[in-house]
Amino acid sequence: MNDPIFWQTLKLTLEVCVVSTIVLLLFGIPLAWILVHKRFWGKRVVESLVLLPLTLPPTVLGFYLLLFLGQNGPMAKYLHIEWAFRFEGLVIGSVLFSLPFALTAYRETFLALEPDLIATARTLGASLPRVWREVILPLCWPGILSGTILAFAHTLGEFGVVLMVGGSIPGKTRVVSIYIYDQVQALRFDRAAQASAILLIISFALVYSVRSLEDRLKPRKGAT
Amino acid sequence: MEISYRIHHPIALELNLTVQGFTVLLGMSGVGKSTLLKALAGLLPAEGQPFAGLPPERRRVGYLPQSFALFPHLSALGNVAFPLAHLPPQKRRVKAREYLELMGISHLAERYPRALSGGQQQRVALARALAREPQLLLLDEPTSALDMATREEVFSEVLERLRRLGIPTLAASHDVWLAQRADWVGVLSRSGLEQQGPPAQVFTHPATLETARLVGFRNLFEARVLEVQDGFLYLETPAGVLKAQGRAWPVGQPVWLGIRSEDVGFEGLENRVAGVLTALQAQGGGGWAHFSGPLELDLLLSRQTQDRLGLEEGQAVEVVLDPRYLHVIPGSP
Repeated sequence: MNDPIFWQTLKLTLEVCVVSTIVLLLFGIPLAWILVHKRFWGKRVVESLVLLPLTLPPTVLGFYLLLFLGQNGPMAKYLHIEWAFRFEGLVIGSVLFSLPFALTAYRETFLALEPDLIATARTLGASLPRVWREVILPLCWPGILSGTILAFAHTLGEFGVVLMVGGSIPGKTRVVSIYIYDQVQALRFDRAAQASAILLIISFALVYSVRSLEDRLKPRKGAT
Repeated sequence: MEISYRIHHPIALELNLTVQGFTVLLGMSGVGKSTLLKALAGLLPAEGQPFAGLPPERRRVGYLPQSFALFPHLSALGNVAFPLAHLPPQKRRVKAREYLELMGISHLAERYPRALSGGQQQRVALARALAREPQLLLLDEPTSALDMATREEVFSEVLERLRRLGIPTLAASHDVWLAQRADWVGVLSRSGLEQQGPPAQVFTHPATLETARLVGFRNLFEARVLEVQDGFLYLETPAGVLKAQGRAWPVGQPVWLGIRSEDVGFEGLENRVAGVLTALQAQGGGGWAHFSGPLELDLLLSRQTQDRLGLEEGQAVEVVLDPRYLHVIPGSP
């Protein structure tokens, strides 16, 4: 691959993926825990909302985000922050778009955790932070990691949302998937093919690692 | 140790219970036994003494849920060392090993929970709970996760070790076998604590119908007090007038009469009731029979009795309800 623009685009894409994944971890784990263990009014609405990106056309999600983050949107009006067509906008779009994937995996892993383990750990003198550190995370990390990798891979391949919110500004908001589209439009099939192959390899490696992690998780579950 | 607790949720429950040595809280499922244990451990909100208002990590309580809840990612030793986090690492391991020793399983120290049998898991869980240096041990259905065939053998030894340690223990259970081996028994029903006392007393003199059923009285029938004379009660029953031992109830008082299946006999002059053996089945070393007459009775017969009397199904017999074994429980008027 000898197009320097491609490597720049790939770098930006990976940056979006890394930052989105970190935000997803920080936001998704507490949210998944709350959805599994707490009861509150409007829980079903929240659950449906976070799953919505699974069925919604990405362009629709992107369109609303554009309205929300754009020049005349509420963010600009009240907070004087304008994130459309910027890196931050891409991250927010990616987070919302990949949230259902991460959240579903986190929820599964928390549901599989026996509540008695947490209760008993507390009676053995452990504070809540220690229970998280020494019981919940050691038992749940394969599920958390696999959900996170899946969300990362999903972010890597998104197209519609980033196009709407980011607008494909080269070097600023153009990600690999859009780069490929642009190359095809320009009839540069050789470049499109090379870029596609690189994305394919990265995605396959990520999904493969998720499958390996799932196998690691299973014998643990059977243990108690 | 005196326990006085009031719980509102998930089950409304208010009770005062003595915990003396190995105490069993006997009750059907759903009456709130586990709820009480959880509340005592601080896992459910409740009011009362002891430990009122403290979070679970600040109560000196050893809590064993039904599943034992061993941490699957830690070895037996790692599990027992968990509550010893305040010690330096070297000392922590030594101490943990001592607790395993105390339960007689130091040879299992390196094993992970999935490689342990139910009985072994229970001992690791107990060693771990003891490492907390509890003032009170709470065991939720301690015999239910054990193999039926070896349950008595396995748990008898555990019980022996717990007795030697002398930590007050409260076990919630519906297991009559376990309650018979306790130092003290409390009987819990939906309406609250029905009765508490030494097992010998609770099992032979249940104070309420619910308790009688729970401690294994299969034969219970309604009666009415006719006369009280020389320390005996004469009662009007479907089988005529029967004589029973018991305190002086007022004449006319409706009561329940109870007799254990194993206490229904064939020899004696008093309280003879005629009827037919409608069913006779071998059951373990002896036999189980059903008697039909003015009363319906379940009987447990030793093989000896069965052979000596040559009992057969469909045979007309007279059974004897010995006044000493006929137990009187107050009924609702």
